[in-house]
Amino acid sequence: MDFNRILVPVAGTEADDEATRLACRFARRTKGKVRAIYVITLKRSLPLDAEIESETRKAEEILARAQSVADEEDYEIETDLLQAREAGPPIVEEAVEYNVDLILMGIKYKRAFGQFSLGSVVPYILENAPCRVILYHQYTAPVSG
Amino acid sequence: MYIIVVGGGRVGYYLTRALLAEGHEVLIIEKEARVFQGITDELGSVCLRGDGCEVATLIDAGTDRADMLIAVTGDDDDNLVACQVAKHRFKVPRTIARISNPQNEVLFKKLGVDVTVSATNIILENIETEVSTHPLTHLLMLGDRGLEIVDVKISPESTTIGKSVETLSLPSGSVLSLIIRRDNKPFVPGTNTVIQAGDQIIAVTPPESEESLRIALRGS
Amino acid sequence: MKIVIMGCGRVGARLASSLDIDGHQVTILDTDSYSFRRLPAAFGGSALVGNGLDGEVLKGAGVEESDVFVALTQGDNRNIMACQIARQIFNVPRVVCRIYDPLRQELYGTLGVESISSTIVMADLFKEKLEG
Repeated sequence: MDFNRILVPVAGTEADDEATRLACRFARRTKGKVRAIYVITLKRSLPLDAEIESETRKAEEILARAQSVADEEDYEIETDLLQAREAGPPIVEEAVEYNVDLILMGIKYKRAFGQFSLGSVVPYILENAPCRVILYHQYTAPVSG
Repeated sequence: MYIIVVGGGRVGYYLTRALLAEGHEVLIIEKEARVFQGITDELGSVCLRGDGCEVATLIDAGTDRADMLIAVTGDDDDNLVACQVAKHRFKVPRTIARISNPQNEVLFKKLGVDVTVSATNIILENIETEVSTHPLTHLLMLGDRGLEIVDVKISPESTTIGKSVETLSLPSGSVLSLIIRRDNKPFVPGTNTVIQAGDQIIAVTPPESEESLRIALRGS
Repeated sequence: MKIVIMGCGRVGARLASSLDIDGHQVTILDTDSYSFRRLPAAFGGSALVGNGLDGEVLKGAGVEESDVFVALTQGDNRNIMACQIARQIFNVPRVVCRIYDPLRQELYGTLGVESISSTIVMADLFKEKLEG
């Protein structure tokens, strides 16, 4: 499998690092492009063009971290910061706009109210992505008591 | 403007589409998962799933920065409560409710709903306009002033034919502003103007005097 | 007192019956005549089929001459609206309704609609019972 344009949506979880690393390694084979993006999701209580300094700072830190993982891999990547009501749609739009051939994202296994849950972003991307999608699940062994 | 639409049925959906096209920020609040999904698939992130009468949902919707809330569910009681909660808890400047039972118009206005829209009344008004024999047609509501403009037709059976305007017992607050005769020449009636069969009288009246105006002009 | 009750569920029927026993003149409304099965055979008030959100139905139930109007249907909004019709349109001196949602109950309290939130009452009673 060759990938020339890879989109890596990062969310600030520990799975981001591995996803970014994987993307760099995939891309290296064909000298492809890697683009890491973060979406600031805004509550309805704020207008869409509101700027929240703390959120922006957090987003920049997350993207800087992806950048440093890429540096460790000695690979150059692009980053982008978006703002929307929900994360799914702008990720898919970005994939369309940059004509990517892979979305690679790290996810964390979640249990909402004791039930397995992928949240809403991952299912949205799987359903609407215009390209292949790889989910990297960060496995953490359950702490036995 | 930031506009919240409560109820994602057909009215809510088309209203939202039109408002989005005008460049407004719009959010629909819809209870049912299936309807919510349909709107989200079609229009993107413009729908919030929840009960638009519930304070908690309205907080999530950012109602305190909304310029307007429009309640268009199929139930009058839900629309009333959504508007009242928006008005009194979130100080939304303008609230609009769809009503099915035209009787509720008075109540809703009394309770602080700024505008009510009744499909039943709109259809009735259209029927009145289409059916020329209808004795009284509503032409325009002067909303904030509590007055309306109506059109009363004098049929050949009206007992007021041959009487002058000053002898008619018009209800207080009602004014005859224009008469259109057969030759289609409009004129402003004076006190001596004599009512003729076929006259079309345009009058301004408070809605509650509508019936007495009709009787004064046509006889009972 | 002359009392009109809207909603003949368990609470409505029980309230109607005990007010009737105390000698009040009770009229109970429900949209479904089947609900009146909950009234005891000895019930001396009147039971009417109709929607309490309709002014004509309320008039028919004698709301204009009543001293109290109580709304006890399953719908918070229906109860709230019926009470406001009774109060604002028919000038009933006292209106009381059940509102399940505590937040809505709090708000309508400030708007002059007297109400009981069965959610709050029940939770408090249970807590009291459990904590002694």
